Amino acid sequence: MAAPRSYVLWSYCGRGWSRLVRTCGPRGLHSSLPAGSLGVRFLSQEKHATQTHFGFETVSEEEKGGKVYQVFESVAKKYDVMNDMMSLGIHRVWKDMLLWKMNPLPGTQLLDVAGGTGDIAFRFLNYIQAQHQRKQKRQLRAQQNLSWDEIAKKYQDEEDPLGGSHVMICDINREMLKVGQKKASDQGHKAGLTWVLGDAEELPFDDHKFDIYTIAFGIRNVTHIDQALQEAHRVLKPGGRFLCLEFSRVNNPLISRLYDLYSFQVIPVLGEVIAGDWKSYQYLVESIRKFPSQEEFKEMIEDAGFQKVTYESLTSGIVAIHSGFKL
Amino acid sequence: MTTLWLRVSLPFCRLPGGLLSTADKWRRVLVPGGKNMRTLGFSDLSFSDLADVPFRAGIHGTSLLYPDHIPTSPLQKALLAAGSAGMALYDPYRHDMVAVLGETTGFYTLKVLRDQMRRDPEGTQILQERPRISLATLDMDKLRSLPEGSFGREYLRFLDVNRVSPDTRVPTRFVDDEELAYVIQRYREVHDMLHTLLGMPTNILGEIVVKWFEAVQTGLPMCVLGALFGPVRLSARKLHVLVSELIPWAVHNGHRAPCVLNLYYERRWEQPLAALRKELGITAVPPCMQGLA
Repeated sequence: MAAPRSYVLWSYCGRGWSRLVRTCGPRGLHSSLPAGSLGVRFLSQEKHATQTHFGFETVSEEEKGGKVYQVFESVAKKYDVMNDMMSLGIHRVWKDMLLWKMNPLPGTQLLDVAGGTGDIAFRFLNYIQAQHQRKQKRQLRAQQNLSWDEIAKKYQDEEDPLGGSHVMICDINREMLKVGQKKASDQGHKAGLTWVLGDAEELPFDDHKFDIYTIAFGIRNVTHIDQALQEAHRVLKPGGRFLCLEFSRVNNPLISRLYDLYSFQVIPVLGEVIAGDWKSYQYLVESIRKFPSQEEFKEMIEDAGFQKVTYESLTSGIVAIHSGFKL
Repeated sequence: MTTLWLRVSLPFCRLPGGLLSTADKWRRVLVPGGKNMRTLGFSDLSFSDLADVPFRAGIHGTSLLYPDHIPTSPLQKALLAAGSAGMALYDPYRHDMVAVLGETTGFYTLKVLRDQMRRDPEGTQILQERPRISLATLDMDKLRSLPEGSFGREYLRFLDVNRVSPDTRVPTRFVDDEELAYVIQRYREVHDMLHTLLGMPTNILGEIVVKWFEAVQTGLPMCVLGALFGPVRLSARKLHVLVSELIPWAVHNGHRAPCVLNLYYERRWEQPLAALRKELGITAVPPCMQGLA
């Protein structure tokens, strides 16, 4: 075993041993081959591993990243409008439910990956602020006699309204980040935000840095979902939580038919009429069909090292929130 | 209940003609063509068979009729037509929406137009040779060197004065026949020529006049809708001018002139504009619009 393994290591020079071992495992696109011939497995997997799906098309893995980038570059300006049109505003409820599930406390360090236009990040900040204000009100009611010092401090607004919380918004696409930054300044969110350009498969952060990692409607666009999950595991602190909001499989057959009808007949038309872009929205609905089911995705998260992985299907399974802990 | 609903709605969601979608194991069993599909009983199939078809649009298939083709089902065409009409009215700068409206509503009219072109010798030549008008195919220097008053020189002047370019036309995407896709593309590219022939500028009034002319000439639903609904945003004074002088003039000329798509414009650059107008029976530009184009 040692000889073939070192051959494989050697050719993968800069990649990292752990990632190598994981990619050689029988998962996703790779076919499972007899364990004895690790070297042979590497060679034949090379041929299989370079093809992946882009919606219903088959493309090479290198191409997929570029194509996804182009899709989001062209939809960035109309992203929020289209979300509202396509989901009839329900996406707001889904994102709110993610926050309620998260229930963050002041002081939380959040990493929002693929969070380009900032929907989750802004909700997080609002939630923390609301929590903080409630806490203050409770304190005020309890301590009827405040000292002059405390009163002066409250009037001078010296305390941090976020209580030390911070959200890092990471996205691979510059256009989406630009739209997000503009939204932030329009809505008046100044403190507690950082915008980072980065790839979910190779996050530009150190290990054990964040309390919560979220990825909302982003993970299905990642070329190597398992790598993104491993990165999530890496950057979370022990005790940290992984939360993923993503389109999933509908469990009810009638609703599934209606959903298919709506997705394939109406959504590309909406994309063409409102955003002038049919193909990006065709890709969007196809990529939803290609994403694994709730159970399969749960297993992928467990494989990345997360514990107590659960999922909750919303709206009959149109979306699901997966949650896991790094212990 | 579900099967009944499926039987009613599926025909509207199927892709046109013999186009196969990628996950098409259901349809491969049948001979391609409409009739066989309708006689298949839905009770023969389980849900898993119907799982992939027919709501999935097959835009990745090798069965695209031309490079930019996007196959669409009747339901999608209906939604596109309604949506693009609304959007074009809401935002007049969305020229792509006017184009989409033309493509989705014009199928039968395009057939009539194509047959008209086939009956004319010059039109047949155009259909065979498929000339395209774009900055790449036009020789701007040669056009500039032509004498004043020639069609080519006046066309170039029109482009310069109104600051338009022949390259801003979106390619055809939703027409499900390759030749008809060319016909509508030719119609769009010839639109600027019509401006020159009629002497109309590219302001809203000029565009409406050209639309009336085209509506009478081609009968395309998009032209008719544009001609009828275009004036809604005009002031009362302009509306009066339009209705009293310009529309009767446009309609009269539209009836008199032969099909304008039958002209091989690329061979007529040197022809004097006045002679070309006489050939087509286009009368003098009404006084209110003279000297503007």
